[in-house]
Order: sequence, then C-alpha cells, then structure tokens
Amino acid sequence: MLKPAVPSKKVPKAVKKKNYNPHQLGKKANAILNTMLAVFAFSCVFPFLYVIIISLTDESVLEKNGFSLLPETWSFEAYQFLWAIKSQLLQSYMITIAVTVLGTIISVFTIAFYAYAISRPQFKFRKQFTFFAFFTMLFNGGLVPFYIVATQVLHLRDTIWALILPMAVNAFYILIMRTFFQRSVPESILESARIDGASELRIYFQIVLPLSLPGLATIALFSTLGYWNDWFNALLFIDNPALVPLQSLLMKIENTLEFIRQNTLLTGSVKGIMQSVPKDAAKMAMVVIATLPIAVSYPFFQRYFIQGLTIGGVKE
Amino acid sequence: MKKIFLVLFSCLLLLSGVLAGCSSNESEAGGKDGEEVKLTWYMIGTPQKDMNKVMEEVNKYTKKKINTTIDLKMIDWGDYDKKMQVVIASGEPYDIAFTASWANNYVLNARKGAFKELDQLMDEHGKELKGALDPAFLEGAKIDGKLYAVPTNKEVGQQGVYVFNKRLVDKYKFDIQSIKSFEDLEPMLQTIKEKESGIQPMTTFTPHAPFDYILDDKMPFAVPLEGENKIVNVYETDEMKQNLDTLHKYYKAGYIKSDAATSKEPWALDVENWFVRKELYQPYAENIWSRNAGYELVVQPMHESPITFNNSVTGSMQAISATSKNPERAMEFLNLLNTDEYLRNLMDKGIEGEHYEKLDNGRIKDLPARKNYTVPSFALGNQFILDLYEEDSDDKWEKFEEFNNQSDDAPTLGFYFDPKPVRTEIAAISNVTSEFAQALLTGSVNPDEYLPKFNKKLKEAGLDKALDEMNKQYEEWKKKQ
Repeated sequence: MLKPAVPSKKVPKAVKKKNYNPHQLGKKANAILNTMLAVFAFSCVFPFLYVIIISLTDESVLEKNGFSLLPETWSFEAYQFLWAIKSQLLQSYMITIAVTVLGTIISVFTIAFYAYAISRPQFKFRKQFTFFAFFTMLFNGGLVPFYIVATQVLHLRDTIWALILPMAVNAFYILIMRTFFQRSVPESILESARIDGASELRIYFQIVLPLSLPGLATIALFSTLGYWNDWFNALLFIDNPALVPLQSLLMKIENTLEFIRQNTLLTGSVKGIMQSVPKDAAKMAMVVIATLPIAVSYPFFQRYFIQGLTIGGVKE
Repeated sequence: MKKIFLVLFSCLLLLSGVLAGCSSNESEAGGKDGEEVKLTWYMIGTPQKDMNKVMEEVNKYTKKKINTTIDLKMIDWGDYDKKMQVVIASGEPYDIAFTASWANNYVLNARKGAFKELDQLMDEHGKELKGALDPAFLEGAKIDGKLYAVPTNKEVGQQGVYVFNKRLVDKYKFDIQSIKSFEDLEPMLQTIKEKESGIQPMTTFTPHAPFDYILDDKMPFAVPLEGENKIVNVYETDEMKQNLDTLHKYYKAGYIKSDAATSKEPWALDVENWFVRKELYQPYAENIWSRNAGYELVVQPMHESPITFNNSVTGSMQAISATSKNPERAMEFLNLLNTDEYLRNLMDKGIEGEHYEKLDNGRIKDLPARKNYTVPSFALGNQFILDLYEEDSDDKWEKFEEFNNQSDDAPTLGFYFDPKPVRTEIAAISNVTSEFAQALLTGSVNPDEYLPKFNKKLKEAGLDKALDEMNKQYEEWKKKQ
C-alpha cells in the first residue's frame, strides 16, 4: 500500500549560524527523523518491489530456493502465462475498469447529494436523515438478508449492477462529506447566490460542487479503491465467467489453492485441477498487473487527497 | 426520538411497498406434467469455456426426453462451499446441488432440512437410477433411515495407496512390494534424501491409521477398525502414538518439508519434486495419475482391502433442494443423467466430433478442443456408463465392480452423529484440535511432549462428555441395525 509522501521540510542550503530559525530542526534530530521516515517509506514500497521480483523469478528456482531478492535465474515466463490466458484476463480487466469508473461516478454523486442535503440547516429533517445514514454504520442486516434483497428482490444476480450498487453509498463517506460541506461552504456564499436569484440546483452545481472539489476527490479516491479491490460481491453474485472482475479472479486462485491444500487426497481424482492453477510467479505477476493501474493513478489524486482531509476551500 | 422513528418507519413502509411490487412481477415456474421446466443446478468445478455450447446440446436432448432444460451454474472449487452456504441460508429457489462430505456438507445440510427427502421420489421417478446404483451407496448415505441425495456410482470403498515416482524406484532398485507399514519406508526415504537433491522424499501426508473417523480425520473421535466396537479418543491409542512418533522421526531427518504445518505447497502431480505420496485408489488410477503427471508412477496399497466409510459413500452426490419447485422433474433429470449413456457422456466429455472422437473399435480419444471443456467426472454422475478411452483396459468397469465387492463396510457405515446435545463441547474440541493436530500430524513437534498436552486440553474442552453422548447415540443406532 502506498502512503502519501510526507512533504519534507526544505532546509535552505546556506543557513548561517547567526540567522536563527525557530523552525529549524537540530542537525541530529533532522537526521534521525529523516532516517525514520526513509525506513518507513522503504518498508511501504519494499513488499511491492518484492512481489515484482518474485513475478520475474524462474518458477523452478522458486520451487527449489523459495523467495529470494536476487534470484538465480530471471524469467518472463509468468507474464507469458498471463498472456496465454489473456482473453479471460482482459475480460476481467474491462469489467473491473467499467465497475470502477461507473461505480465511482454513481457513488460520488449519490454521496454528495445526500451529504449536501443533510449539511444545510434549512433542511427540516436533516437530523433524522443523518441518523438514518449513521444507523447503518452501527447495525446492518447481515449477509443473508443482504443476499436475499440483492438476488430475490432486486434481481441483481449475474449483472454488473451487483458489483456497483451494493457499494454505491457509504455512510462514513456521507458523514465526511457533510462535515466538509459545513466547513468549506459557508452559508454567506449561498445567501449571496440566493440574493442574485440562483436556484437551488444552480447553487449546488455551480457554487457548492466547484468549492468542494478536494472533498469530492477524496471520496472519489476512496470509492475507486473500494471498487477496484472488491471481490466479495463477485463471489456472492457472479456466476458468469464473463463478468468476473480482476480481484475476484485472484481470490478464486487463492481459494482454489487453499482448497487443494485442505483436500489433499482429492486431487488425484480431479483431472485437470492442478494444471489450471497458476504457480507462484504467475500469481505474483497477476498481483502486479492488478495493482499497477491503481498505484499509477494515485499521484493524480494525492494533491486533493491531502487537502481534502486537512483544510477547507474557503477561509473566513 | 419519536420523529426519528416515524421517519424510519415510513421509510421502511415505502421500501417494502416498492419491494412487494417488484416481487409480484415474478412469474411462478410452472411444473405440471406437460409443461416445460427449467432446472437450476449448482455444480462444483472451474467454469469452462465451452460450457454454454455443451449445455445447448444437453438442453436439446433433455427437452426432447423429459421436456426440461438445465441452467448449470459451475462454481469454482474454492468458492463452492461459501457460495452454497449463502444460497441455502437465503432460501433461494434452486433445484439440484452438488453435495459431499468435503464440500457443501451433506450431513449438516440434510439435518438442517436444506435438502428434500428422496426415498419416495426415487421410487416414483427414478426406478432405473435406483437399480443402477450399488446398494452400499444407498444404505450408507441414509441419515436416520432417509436418503437426502443421489450418490454417484463409482468406487464405493476407500483404499489409501503409496504412490511412488517410478523413475526413482527403478534407479535405486527399491522393492516397493515389500512395504507393509509406514516404518518400512525409512531406508528408501533416507536414500532419496542423501542422493537426490531437489526432491522431497515424502509429500505432506498422514500415514494410514486403522480408524473409522466419526467427524473428520483430524478430530479425535473414531472407532478402531480392529478391537472393541466403540468410539474412542484416537490420540490416546497406541497406533496413533506410533504413527506420530514415526512422523516426527521423519520430520527431524528432513524427509518431510520443514514448513509442512503451514506450507501451501499443493504438491502438483506435474511437478516432479517428490518421491512418495498418498492418494486414494480406484482401479487403474495409476494410469490416470501418470497421464496427469507426465511421467510414470507406481502404487503400493497401504492396507489390505478397501474400506467403505461414510465419507466414501458420501464422496460425491447430487441433492434436490427443499426450495425446488419441481422436485419430480429434478429426479427425472438425475435419473436420465445416471442411466442414459448419450447424456452422461455428453456432459462428461463434451460434444462428439468437437471435444472427442469415436474410434472404430468403440473407444474414444480427446480432441484438442477438450481443454475448453474439462469437468470433474467423478462429481457429475454414474461412472460405469462412460465410454472408455483408447488406452483404457477392457475390464475397467468390471474391475471397479470387483473393487466394490471387495470393500469391507466400516463399523459406523450409515451412522451419522447428531452433535446438537454437545454442540459447545464439539466446538471447543474443534478449536483445540485445530491448534495441535496439524503440527502433530505433520511431525513438526515432538509427540512425547505435545500429545499429553493435547489430550489434557481435549479433556478440559469436554472430550469425555462428547464421547459419552457419541457412544450413546452409536449404541442406539447399532440396536436398530
């Protein structure tokens, strides 16, 4: 998992001893803190590097020596294996991307609408609706009722909506967004807009939303990550191989391996089961291609992400 | 607060109104004699590329024969159990589901009432099926005298065998016929360890133990195959102690993988990194294994004759759901699947001429497209009506029947323990077992030290109470036999 880089305090190069800077860290403290942060940053990146190395290791070396940082033989075999199953992989990629994009849009809009409504003091039932959302954070119906509603009432089974709708609204994000609106969009701006004759919708789309971009980006990032990494909904609702998202494909492989481990005596009679399970290197290669897009897109969000969590857009 | 509840309540009302509107649109699946019916069938196995193609053919045939079409849902091996738990708990309507002792637990679900009782249905709609099945299956799979799923006709008994890598056996001129006990393996393991680098002398397996396990083969409850006919704690028996001692000796000598207790190594057949392993035998299994492995294997039985356990008769079955709207049709379909050669081979191997071809002598051969359709044959249905491959022996199915006739019934065949009265004890024992069993059964820890600890903790978890209850039920069951 990548962590937001901590903006390093720039130390002016030519600091003369006379110019006492009250914010300047002592040399020792500076060195220690920098090392600590460096170690922390490295330990965040290291596992991922390791995964990449394993994915490039020759399978027979893995069998013999286990994982190592500097493998005896490098090989692209794992990626060739992925190329061989590219039809399923690409299909899953498309599903994941479609679900993530569509899901993020739907989820950001729904959450922003809801949060805006309960953030405005003019709304009479805002307390009740806040509680209505908040309540779901404390209690939920559990897995089985959730499954019944999704399959037998909404008929989501084996549709792409089964992957999108269950995660579209999240009470926690609503509360974050509500706080954000309350803090960064002052009533006075809205008042002045009203005086100028703007309708509620116009106020929302032309004033509130542009002012809240950092907050929206934060929610969008959370949702994107959530959708990208989701596999459980697919496990529950998707039987059609053409609709299986990438993470779910990975989980299936993991589950199948675990299953084989627990039922060691079965494998002899299950023809073909062993051949269909990718080996370690191939698994890691899948992790790489499943993680890379989200890791690459992260820096684009990062700027907003930090702002969104720390300061509001307007100063009074 | 009042207001809040008012709002909540009205929301609920609104919601339920909407939901009711939705569900009433759903049309009831009709199931009168003449009408066409669509059956939903949950099956274990990796979904196949050509599934739809084959199912189209299947549906053409079943529609003609019994005016029924099949909606087959293949769920991957690792997902099946979880998925079926949710499906069953939610009361979702479906018709047929794969069930076994090791996936979508047969006994548990039958006791819960998730499956339909089949005795009468089978008499009315599955006469041929009943005739085709080995009676041992029907008897052994009955829970409290009632049958809840249709067993697959295959090998009825279980026989553990040592499987050896033939290349290494020949190289060092081992006499595998002479192996009678687990201890006899030692000199071979030693040679392999010394002379073959990169080969693990033995895969992670537990040696044959002469017990008939009540719950699973890690839990401490079992009836000894020889000796007094009552349920005992396996971990207090001499046989188990001896096995564990040998395992630990092998572990210390490095014959067993050093991280065996936690390793996820699947010991794939097609990776030649082992010398001896354990598998469950069926006639000519060594040919199948050699074919899957890509190199020659030889086998040596671990014990004399095969034994018919509860686990082996419930190893692969099809149940009809209690929520099924058309149980009669479902039974008719299972009847057809298990007795009609055309349908059975179609489901098993795909379309003739596309996935396999018939040779002049009636034998068959896979075509390249077969890789787009490989389904678990043993889980689908009757094995004895499958076409033979060109390299199969003529007497394959006769050998199966011979194998089945040879099988001895285990003492508890047909006895299924009802854990309700001692549920807390069983749960506690299960926790203790998962703490110790894996480490002990891989030889990773010294049994002299850990076995007494294990037994003490089992006692504290209520082992004696559980054993008493088990033996009580077992005695009652024996009286009825």
